[in-house]
Amino acid sequence: MAKELTPQEMLRIDLTPPNRDWMDIPTVIKPGIYCYPAKPEKIEIVGMPNPHVWSPLDDDWGLPEDWKETFLQGMRERLEKHRSFKIFMDICVRCGACADKCHFFLGSGDPKNMPVVRAELIRSVYRGEFTKAGQILGRLAGGRKLTEDVLKEIWYYMFQCTECRRCSLFCPYGIDTAEVTIIGRELINLFGLNINWIQEPVANCYETGNHLGLLPHTFKQNIEFMCMDIEEFVGITIDPPFNKKGAEILFVTPSGDVFADPGIYTLMGYLMLFEHIGLDYTWSTYASEGGNFGFFTSLDMAQRLNAKIYAEAKRLGVKWILGGECGHMWRVVHQYMNTFNGPPEFLEEPVSPITGTKFENAKSAKMVHIAEFTADLIKHGKLKLNPKRNDHLKVTYHDSCNPSRGMGMFEEPRYVIKSVCKHFYEMPENTIREQTFCCGSGAGLNAGENMELRLRGGLPRANAVKYVHERFGVNMLSCVCAIDRAALPASMEYWVPDMKVCGMSELVGNALVMEGEHDRPTDLRGEEIPGFAKAEGEGEEVTEDV
Amino acid sequence: MGRKMHKGLREILEQKKGPIVEKWREQIHKTYPPETAQFLKREKDRFSNPIGSSIEESIWPLYDQLIGEADPATTKKLLDNLVRVRAVQDFTAASAVQIIFALKPIVRKEVFGIAQKKGLVQEYLEFESEIDRFGLLAFDVFMECRERVWEIKRNDLLKRPFMLSGGMCPSYMMKRGIKHLEKLKKEITQH
Repeated sequence: MAKELTPQEMLRIDLTPPNRDWMDIPTVIKPGIYCYPAKPEKIEIVGMPNPHVWSPLDDDWGLPEDWKETFLQGMRERLEKHRSFKIFMDICVRCGACADKCHFFLGSGDPKNMPVVRAELIRSVYRGEFTKAGQILGRLAGGRKLTEDVLKEIWYYMFQCTECRRCSLFCPYGIDTAEVTIIGRELINLFGLNINWIQEPVANCYETGNHLGLLPHTFKQNIEFMCMDIEEFVGITIDPPFNKKGAEILFVTPSGDVFADPGIYTLMGYLMLFEHIGLDYTWSTYASEGGNFGFFTSLDMAQRLNAKIYAEAKRLGVKWILGGECGHMWRVVHQYMNTFNGPPEFLEEPVSPITGTKFENAKSAKMVHIAEFTADLIKHGKLKLNPKRNDHLKVTYHDSCNPSRGMGMFEEPRYVIKSVCKHFYEMPENTIREQTFCCGSGAGLNAGENMELRLRGGLPRANAVKYVHERFGVNMLSCVCAIDRAALPASMEYWVPDMKVCGMSELVGNALVMEGEHDRPTDLRGEEIPGFAKAEGEGEEVTEDV
Repeated sequence: MGRKMHKGLREILEQKKGPIVEKWREQIHKTYPPETAQFLKREKDRFSNPIGSSIEESIWPLYDQLIGEADPATTKKLLDNLVRVRAVQDFTAASAVQIIFALKPIVRKEVFGIAQKKGLVQEYLEFESEIDRFGLLAFDVFMECRERVWEIKRNDLLKRPFMLSGGMCPSYMMKRGIKHLEKLKKEITQH
């Protein structure tokens, strides 16, 4: 008879987590967790340093000879430039309040994904290389020297943080670990070690104005295709204005809404809303991206990409800017845009031309969120709505990290959604509003090759979605972020397979009663709405010609 | 699965349920690094501790399935709750599903002696075989999860924007697809 194994031995198949300090546990870089490296040509386009071919699984990452000096000099400069970074390096007492608040820790169980430890990866270098105590006492003072392995570890974990800032909410000192990640990624970019999922959109955005690299005519054509869909499903003709000089409002949204399912239905919602109220606005084929992947590269890069929005507003001579449903775009608008490229004296304080409401919160940056704008329209009774068209949906709302924690917008999207949907259910309190869980794929991590990482990070959000799905029968997860709309379907496919994902404006579009509309048996996705479908044999003949 | 367990052995396993399942939970927690294991044990809120709560919510009813007449659908759902998370974490296939087999030595320590005294060795061995069957089923679930991950990766790739370069607007392509499908359906009906 085989030797009887003890429980401990049974568990020792190939995973025996060691009970040692994190510094003594070597980091193993695994496929499924990291994103592919940036292509050299995409780095060259924006003039960033050390473009080269390399692989995270190779020993040699093609670092320049003086990489260590460059890293430390880069860190020194940033410690001087950003007082917040210096403070965050100095004041953490490692109380652990943030430790179990990160979606990546909760989904992976990897202690290096505790925000305190992730920041400690850099903080230990700061102590070991910049503080007297760390230089003399080394590990006793929590310091370590910068080596290639340390750099690789920093790289690995800086791309396991979505900069969602949930951890910062619980820090008694107010340390914003996202800012540590931001600086960490800046340092990584000094050696051409960015990931391609971020770098290529940056290069595209720099060259053509949007992440996908859609040229103006393609951008326009795509939106016109949405108009064809609206014509078919709603029965009205919309002729959206592009690059219209002298329009009152410039509308900017993430390009994900222009080409990605289900963002395209959200875009159809925008088009219908603007048509419904007769808004004097324009799309721009140059400022054709609200998102800013530069923000995940370096603050300088974010500034460069952000500049086009004000430049285009100036060129077109609009009064103010309206922004679509995006995540980090709003963090940049709310917290950085004014000092990056503003304040824009040539713009006016935003006033709704329909209701006369002054958006005082946008007085400085001159950019209003579509949820604020729509909520105001509904509040003033300016929209003709038929919420019954959404009656077949049981909706919950995922607070996208940046609009909620980043700019404090909690109620407007809820007000809009509740106005157009009868059945609305909140997820548990500790998973929404300022405590919202990230979709798991923000900050440029919504690639395909790191799917295991994304699914781990998506677990806490999905866990709350699953709860309302099982308890109330919720079947639609709404949000106001293009990355959410791109990332949550994959997460739901794995964790809550019956759940669909939509943007707020898609729900608005479905409920809007448009002047001159025909019978609308389907929603904006072309799917039949129960109770609205025509009786059999009544439908129009389907032709091949579209 | 679905076989009837000897009444006497079942009574012993029922009596020992508390200590057995608690030890089992501890063993599952210990497959994570020590800091994580502590957290999984400490935090009771379902939404602040999704891994810990899915373990807690699965192992007790799973043990009931094991000692009762297991319902295949329920058993699979419970195993899914346990394994789905592990299928995307840093575990190999073996270390992901070994948490089921880890129950054997725990039960052996708690129950085998008593079963032996009562002359229920044969029944006890059958019970251990049942644990093996659950373990194999867990491997099926693990494989389904991994297949799902690859399907999601593939779907994600197909949705990638660069698909546009060879085609057109996705909305247009989808619409074209729907039209084509409708046409096919019509043709089939007509013939």
